[in-house]
Amino acid sequence: MRKKTFEKIAFSTIGWFIGLVWILPVMGILMTAIRPYSEVIDGWWRFDSFNPTFSNFINALTHPTASMLEGMVNSLIIAVPATILPLLLATIAGYGISRYKFPFRKSLVVAVVLTLALPQQMIAVPLFSIMSNLGLVDTYAALILVHTAWGIPWITFFMRNYFKTLPNDMEEAARIDGATDFQIFYRVVLPNAFPAIASASALQFTWVWSDFFLALILIYSPDRILATQRVPLMRGQYHVDWGLLSAASILVMIVPILIYIFLQRYYVRGMVGWSGK
Amino acid sequence: MSEVLLEKVGKVFPNGFRAVSDVNVEVNDKEFVVLVGPSGCGKTTTLRMIAGLEEITDGTIKIGGRVVNDVEPKDRDIAMVFQNYALYPHMSVYENMAFGLKLRKTPKAEIKKRVDEAARILGIEQLLDRKPKQLSGGQRQRVAVGRAIVRNPKVFLFDEPLSNLDAKLRVQMRAELKRLHQNLEATIVYVTHDQVEAMTMADKIVIMKDGVIQQIGDPYTVYFEPRNIFVAGFIGTPAMNFINGRLKRRDGKIWFAKEGFEVAVPDKLSKALEKYKDEDVLLGIRPEDMYDKMFAKDVKDEFTVTGECEVVEPLGSETLIHARIGDDEVVAKVDPKTRAEAGSKMDLVLDMTMAHVFDKQTEENVLFGKHSLEEFKA
Repeated sequence: MRKKTFEKIAFSTIGWFIGLVWILPVMGILMTAIRPYSEVIDGWWRFDSFNPTFSNFINALTHPTASMLEGMVNSLIIAVPATILPLLLATIAGYGISRYKFPFRKSLVVAVVLTLALPQQMIAVPLFSIMSNLGLVDTYAALILVHTAWGIPWITFFMRNYFKTLPNDMEEAARIDGATDFQIFYRVVLPNAFPAIASASALQFTWVWSDFFLALILIYSPDRILATQRVPLMRGQYHVDWGLLSAASILVMIVPILIYIFLQRYYVRGMVGWSGK
Repeated sequence: MSEVLLEKVGKVFPNGFRAVSDVNVEVNDKEFVVLVGPSGCGKTTTLRMIAGLEEITDGTIKIGGRVVNDVEPKDRDIAMVFQNYALYPHMSVYENMAFGLKLRKTPKAEIKKRVDEAARILGIEQLLDRKPKQLSGGQRQRVAVGRAIVRNPKVFLFDEPLSNLDAKLRVQMRAELKRLHQNLEATIVYVTHDQVEAMTMADKIVIMKDGVIQQIGDPYTVYFEPRNIFVAGFIGTPAMNFINGRLKRRDGKIWFAKEGFEVAVPDKLSKALEKYKDEDVLLGIRPEDMYDKMFAKDVKDEFTVTGECEVVEPLGSETLIHARIGDDEVVAKVDPKTRAEAGSKMDLVLDMTMAHVFDKQTEENVLFGKHSLEEFKA
């Protein structure tokens, strides 16, 4: 009994410690963002005076050279189609792979898994040259295309694993009820795949929204650059307004966080997509 | 007419496993046919071939006189009830039942009429707005049956529909399904591993093992005239007793002899055993055909066997005695007033008119068709 209490306390302490270490930088950014520059110049952890303000956020959103508002709109223009497109294609592909037998099915799955291991840095140069040949450099179409292509393999794999956990009986019942393959897919399978679709959407959206690297390669016009690309521009050459920088960071982070909160109910259930074979 | 005909049907899976061989079954119009056997015997595969969910390797399947080998499940005019119900979780009970009709573009008013009617028959009218996960196992099973009924198909297929229910509910649903069969006058093919379900519900039982049909017959026939050792042991609880011994001829009679005892085979049956004299055979006798001598009247001594009583199981209406006869263990279902005690000797009387003799090599019942069934039924 006593030993158990001790264990409990020990585990709680470790848990709290890890949690604190984790949350501390986030707290720092938040505290810096919501206080005037003069209050945080000696460290955000000092609370000699505390006058919360939204001015940093307003300044970041309406920044004269790197407006975050414009950046966030641009990011949305990329992230929404770059989430919907690969999900649409990969969900159908994942279902096909999980349910239908065709030649080289296994090889296809292996190929899909292999592409998951591909580092982005490796394809940066060829990607740029392809887009350059296509005349798509500095266009959103290029970035949407690349994110879609990058998303399809993992979402296919993820959805395939999820579909494998759905009972086949249900689909057979629908087949006997008179449904065609396509009707089975969209009237029976899809509604039951919502948790996985929600998880995959959240992950893909976050990925695209937070991407810095691919955007850096393909988009450079000042009015077209994305939210993530604008954060470093908040830094002046001689003067760093930490409050402004923190507010911009939070503006970038807040969107995926909201999405996770919104989709949390489905998110956990959908995660079995990572568990299948 | 909605009869189902399986002719020389076989199934080999892509991995080379032969699940079903040479299955010939005739399911007549309005007949309740049960496919029964241990797991892996090919009964579910056979059912799935009838449904069209599994391709047929050899043979032909006809439904209502039409060859359906290459017909899609939806065009076979069948409905199927699955073991784990296979309801659509995102649809209400009403939508679950209406789905098939909707896909077939049945008018809305007609759908409502049929769903309401089915719900009334099954007593689930108050559940129509619920989702499957808000239902108990028994209710889900009713919805699954309802989904089949509304389609008004030629043939109903049931794949172990009761095995996920608890024992009490299973007994209740068994009777309900039987009543439903009578009311709907439907043709039903039903798969189960439970021989009690098979016996209680079937007009005709098809017993399978390792993908091969062992026997087809009505419940009485398969019980009283099992074709081989497998059927004899599979149908009936407690199972039929098998006693090793040898047939002998003495005083113009055939005797079944074993160390310590000899019992005479009735004259009516002995003719068929003539060629087995001086051969080792298996005597098969059901527990209810073994009596405690104290309660067996008019029995001659030559039918009596002395055994070692090992376990006594009183069930109230009867008592099961587990006894040892030589090196064979037997179970006798005797009068509950028996005074048998574990560890003591007791005299058991065998009703040899009900006995079966099995060839040890072929495992066939040598006395198959030699008992007059009418006698047993009466």
